[in-house]
Amino acid sequence: MDASMAVIGFLTLPFIGAPLAYLGDRILLRRGSNPRLGQWITLIILLVCLLGLIVFWTQNPAGDSLWIWVGSIVLHWDGLSFLLAFTVILLATLVALFSGPYIRDEKAQDKYFSLLLLMVGAIIGLGSANDLFNLWIWFELMAVSTYLLVAFYPQEQGSLEAGVKYLVQSAVGSVLILLAIAITYAYAGTLQLDGIRARFVELNPALIGSGVLFIIGFGVKAALVPMHTWLPDAHAQAPSGISAMLSGIVIEAGLVAMLRAIFALGTEATWWGVLLMGFGAINMFLGNLLALRQQQIKRLLAFSSVAQVGYMLAGIGVGLAYHQPIAIAGGMFHLFTHALMKGLAFLAVGALLYALVISQHQHTPLTLDDVRGAARRYPLVSLTLAIALLGLGGLPPMAGFMSKWQILVGGFMSQSGASIALMVFAGLNSVLSLGYYAPIVNRLYQQSPSEVVEKGGHIPGLMVLPLIILGLGILLLGLVPSLMNPINEWAASSLMGLGIR
Amino acid sequence: MNYPDGIIVALTILGLVGIGIYAIIVSRNLIKIVVGMQIMVKGVLLAFVLAGRVSGNIGLGQSLALTVIVVDTIVAVVALALTVQVHKRFGSLDPQALTTLRR
Amino acid sequence: MPNWLLLLPIGVPWLGCIGVWMVGDRRPKFQHSLAVFFSVLSAGAGLMLIPYSTQRLTLMLPLGGVFDDFRLATDGLGVFLAVVATVIGSLAVIFSVDYMHGEHSLGRYYAFVLFFIGSMVGLVLTTSLLWMFVFWELTALCSYALIAFHNDDPKAVRGGIKALIMTQFGGLGLLFGALLLYTYTGSYEINSFLSNPGVLPASVLNWMAFGFLIAAAAKSAQFPFQTWLPDAMEAPTPISALIHAATMVNAGVYLLARFYPAFEAVPGWKLAVMIVGMLSALLAALMALVAFDLKRVLAYSTVSQLGFMVYAVGAGGVFASQFHLMSHSVFKALLFLGAGAVIHALGTRDMREMGGLGKRMPFTRTVFILGALALAGLPIFNGFWSKELILEIGLGHGNPSWIAALMILSAGLTAAYTLRMVILVFYGQARRDHHVHDAGNAMKTALFPLAVGSLSTWLLLGPFYQALKTSLPFHKFEFDETWLHMAESVHSTIGMTLEVGLEVLRQPFTYIVLLVVILGGVSWLGRKRLSVLIATFKGVEQAAQSAFGFDAINDAIVKSVQKTGEALRVTQTGYLAWNVLAVLLGWLVVLILTLLGRIG
Repeated sequence: MDASMAVIGFLTLPFIGAPLAYLGDRILLRRGSNPRLGQWITLIILLVCLLGLIVFWTQNPAGDSLWIWVGSIVLHWDGLSFLLAFTVILLATLVALFSGPYIRDEKAQDKYFSLLLLMVGAIIGLGSANDLFNLWIWFELMAVSTYLLVAFYPQEQGSLEAGVKYLVQSAVGSVLILLAIAITYAYAGTLQLDGIRARFVELNPALIGSGVLFIIGFGVKAALVPMHTWLPDAHAQAPSGISAMLSGIVIEAGLVAMLRAIFALGTEATWWGVLLMGFGAINMFLGNLLALRQQQIKRLLAFSSVAQVGYMLAGIGVGLAYHQPIAIAGGMFHLFTHALMKGLAFLAVGALLYALVISQHQHTPLTLDDVRGAARRYPLVSLTLAIALLGLGGLPPMAGFMSKWQILVGGFMSQSGASIALMVFAGLNSVLSLGYYAPIVNRLYQQSPSEVVEKGGHIPGLMVLPLIILGLGILLLGLVPSLMNPINEWAASSLMGLGIR
Repeated sequence: MNYPDGIIVALTILGLVGIGIYAIIVSRNLIKIVVGMQIMVKGVLLAFVLAGRVSGNIGLGQSLALTVIVVDTIVAVVALALTVQVHKRFGSLDPQALTTLRR
Repeated sequence: MPNWLLLLPIGVPWLGCIGVWMVGDRRPKFQHSLAVFFSVLSAGAGLMLIPYSTQRLTLMLPLGGVFDDFRLATDGLGVFLAVVATVIGSLAVIFSVDYMHGEHSLGRYYAFVLFFIGSMVGLVLTTSLLWMFVFWELTALCSYALIAFHNDDPKAVRGGIKALIMTQFGGLGLLFGALLLYTYTGSYEINSFLSNPGVLPASVLNWMAFGFLIAAAAKSAQFPFQTWLPDAMEAPTPISALIHAATMVNAGVYLLARFYPAFEAVPGWKLAVMIVGMLSALLAALMALVAFDLKRVLAYSTVSQLGFMVYAVGAGGVFASQFHLMSHSVFKALLFLGAGAVIHALGTRDMREMGGLGKRMPFTRTVFILGALALAGLPIFNGFWSKELILEIGLGHGNPSWIAALMILSAGLTAAYTLRMVILVFYGQARRDHHVHDAGNAMKTALFPLAVGSLSTWLLLGPFYQALKTSLPFHKFEFDETWLHMAESVHSTIGMTLEVGLEVLRQPFTYIVLLVVILGGVSWLGRKRLSVLIATFKGVEQAAQSAFGFDAINDAIVKSVQKTGEALRVTQTGYLAWNVLAVLLGWLVVLILTLLGRIG
C-alpha cells in the first residue's frame, strides 16, 4: 500500500461508515435492543484511518506533498492536511470511545455517530482540497454535520436556540465565502489554489476585497472576534463529546480553510498577516476577559477557546507578516495541543456532567459551585481536568507551555517592535487566563463536596479511558515537545510554500 | 472584463445579498429568516454565473451554481427542521424569543 | 558514568512524588515513611554532588530545535543551592510527619513537596535558559498548589492564586530575556552568554537586565512585589519554611547572582538592584515590627533579609549575598519550623494570644532563640558573619553611602522586631490558658540540625569561597580585590575562614553595626520610655500596618480587571440580529482598514 492509496483510504472510509452506522443503529432501535452498533462501526473505521495515517507517514517520511487524482478531481496532500487529519482522527476516536453512555437514551442517539463520522470525513477532505470551491464544499459539509449535533437535545430550549443561531451565522459566513470565491474566479480564471497564487504579482482592489471576505467568512467559523458570538452558546449546549470536537478541531478547520484561501491570494501575505495579528490580540484579550466572570463551566471553556484561537492567530499572523516559519510552526503546534487540552477539558467536564446531571436525566448546565469537592469522589477525572486546565493556562510540564513557547520564539525572532509587543501581550494574557483556570482546580480539590457531587452517580471506565490517554499525551508532549516537530514544520512549510531553515 | 452589462448584474447581486441580510437581521419570524438566507444564496448563484461569463468559462460558472443550489437546499432543510422544533418548544417563531442564553 | 549523578537529585524526588501519590491516602503511615525515605535519599544525592562543585560535571539530553537540549552542569553556586534545597527539604518533610499528622490528602501534599524539591534542583543546575524558565514555572506551580493546600479556606486559595499570578507576571521578565537571548544569538546557553555579554546589542542587553530584575523581584517578593509572600503564609508551616524561606524565594537572588557578570555594566542596573534591595529590607522590617501574626512577622523578615542579599549583589558582593543566603536558609527554616511547633501546639498564629510559652516548650524556645540571635546578627551566629560582609561591601566600591546607612538602620530594626517576637511568644505572662506540649520527636529531629547549623555554617566560608571562585570563571569575587586582600595569602580553605573572621572582628565598622543592633533591641525593651519618639512616627506605623499601600494597589488592579470582564458580558446579547449585525460590522471595519492600509 503506498501513500496515495492510504490517503484515499482514510478519505473515503468515514463516508462509507456514516450511513452504515446510522442504519445499524436504526435497525437495532427498531428491534428494541441497545443501539451499540454505531459506536462499534465508528471506532473500527477511525482506528483503520489511524492505521492509514501511520502507513502514510512511513511511506512518506521525507515530507513531500502528494498530488492524487480521483477521477478528474485533484487532491493535494501536504503537511497541513496531515496535521489536520491526524488531529481529527485522534480526537474523534477518543470522543467515540467516550460518547457511548453519554448519549444513551437520547432521542437522537442513532444519528450521533454517523454525523460524527461525516464530520471527520469532511474535515479530512477539507485538508486535502486544492481548489477554492472544493474547499467550500468540504467546509459546508462539515458545518451541516455539526448543526444537528449542536441541537442534539430538541426537548431543551437552550439546545435549539444555540443550534438556530449557529446555523444562521454560519450561513451568513458561508455566503461571504462564496462571494469571495466568485470574485476570485472572475479575475483569476481558475479555482486551483496554486494556480491563483501563481497568477498575480499584485492584487487589484477587488481581489483584496475578496481576501477580506475570506477572512471574515471563514472567521465566523474560526471564532474571530466579533464573529464569535455563536460559540459560547453552541459549545456549551452541545453534548460534551461534540463540544470537544467543536472547540478542538472544527474551529481549527475553519482557521485552516481560511489559511488555504489566503494562501491563494498570497502576494498580499504581509497584510493578511497583520490582520491576523490584530485579530489575535483582540481574541486573546476579549476571550480571557469574557471567560473571567463565567459561572457555567462549559461556557467558560468556550470563551477560553476564543482566547486560545487568538494565540494561534498571533503565531500565524506574525509568521505570515514577517516570514517566520517558526512562528507558524508554533501556531500549528498550538492547534494540536489545544485540541488535546480543550478536548480533555470538555471530556472531563462531560464525565462529571454525566455522573452528576445526565444520569439523573437532567440537562442543566454545570456551574463552578457544582464541582466543589469533585476530586474526592472522582479523583482520576479531576486530575485529568486539572492537567487540561493548567495546561491551557500555559504551565509546564503540560504541552500548552511548549506550544506557546514556540509561538513566542517565532514572534521574537522577527525582531520587530510590533511583533515583540504582541508576544508580550500574549504573555500577559497567559497570566490573566490563570485567573479563571486556577480557581476551578482549587474548587475540584476542596474537602467538602457540593450537594450535586454527593448525589452523583458512577462514571463508567470507558469514559475515563480517553481522559487518561489525553492526559498522558499532554504530559508527554510537554516534556518532549520535539516529537511533534516533523509534523509541525512540514505543516508550516506547506503553508508558506517554502522550506524551513 | 469587457462585459458592460456586468455592472447591472453586479448591482443585482449586491441588491439580493443586501436584501437577504436585511431580512435576516430585521425579521421577527424564523421562516422569513430562512427565506432571507435563500435570497442571499440566489445572489451568490448569480455571482458565480457572472464570474463564469467574465472569465470565459460560463459552463463552469453554471455547474458551480448548481452545486451551490444542492448544498444550500440541504442547509435550508436542516434550518426548517430546527424551525419546526423551535415552534414546538418555544411556541413562537420569533427570533427574539430565542434569548434564554445570554451574557 | 558519573554524569548520571546529575539526574539523581532531580529524579529521586520526582520518583518519590509519583510513588507517594500512587500509594493513596488510605495508608497515611506508609505515605509519611515513603516521603521521608525519598527526601532523605534526595538529600544524599544532593550531598554527593559536593565534590563536583569545583570540577564541572555535565549532562546533555538532546531534544532539538527551538526546544533546547536538556542540559545540566555543576558549579559551586548550583551545587550549593541544590544541597540547600534537598537537605532542608528532607528536614521539612521529617517535620511534616508530626505537623501533618492526621491531615487529609497527604498524597497531594507530599507529591507536590517532592516535585518541588526536584524542580528547584533542576532550576539551579541547568545551563539552559529555557529549562531554567521551565523549572522556574514548575516551582511556581508547586508553590501555588501547596499554599492553597486547604482548598476549603478561601484565604488560602486567594493567597495561592495571588502568589501564582504575581510570580507568573514577574516571570515574564525572565521569559522575554530568554527569548531575546535566543533571538540574537541562536542559543539558550547561559555560560557562553556570560563569557561574552557583548554579543547582544546594548539596548537588548538593557531590556534583558531589567526584565531579569523584575522576574527576580517578583520571585523573591521584593519591592514592589512583596505582597504575595505574607499572604502565602496560609500554607502549612513546613511549606513556609521550605519554599517561602529557604529555597524558592532564593531563586530570584540566584538569578541575579548568576547573571551578574552580564549585567553589571548595564547603566543604572546595579543602582536599581541596590535600591530594590534596600527598599525591601527597610519597608519589610517596619512591617514586621507592627505585625501580630507570627508567620507574617517571619514572612516580612524573609522579605527584609532577601533585600539584604539583593542589595549585596547590586553592590558587587556576589559572594556576600550567597553566604548570607546560606545562613538565612538555615536560621529562617529553623525559625519557621519552630513557629510551626508553636502553632501546631496552640492552634493559633496570633502572637497576642501567646506568651509565657517558654516554660512549657523549653526545647522549642531554645532553638527558636538560637535562630533569632542568628537573624538579629549577633556574634558567632552565622547571621552575624554574613550580614557584616554584606554591610562592609556596601561601603566600598563607590556605592552610595546613603543606601548603606539605611541598610544599617534595617539591621537595627531587625534586632528590634526579632526581640519583640521572642518576647511576645515565649516570655511574659501567658495570655491564654493553653494545654500545650513541646515539639514532637519528628519535629525535634528536624529542628536540632538547623539549630546546630545556625551556630556553625559560617565555618564553611573558606571552602565555599574557593568553590565559587574556581567554578564560576566569569564572576569577580570581592575578596580578590577588595578590603581583605586575601587572594595571595590564603593557603588552606579553613585558614581562609579564620583569616576572614579575624579581619571582620578587627574592623571598627563591625562594632558600629553591632552597636546599632543592640540599640535596636534595647529601644524595643525601652519603648515605653521612648513613647514620645514613637508618637512622631505614628504615621509610619499606620502605613506599615497597611503594607504601605501596596495591598490597596493590588486590590485595585484585581477589581478593575474583574469589572471590565463583567462589563464586557453585554456583548453576548443573546439576540440573533445583533450577532449577525456584528458579523457585518466586523467585515465593514476590516474592509475600511484594508482600504486605508493597502490601497490609498
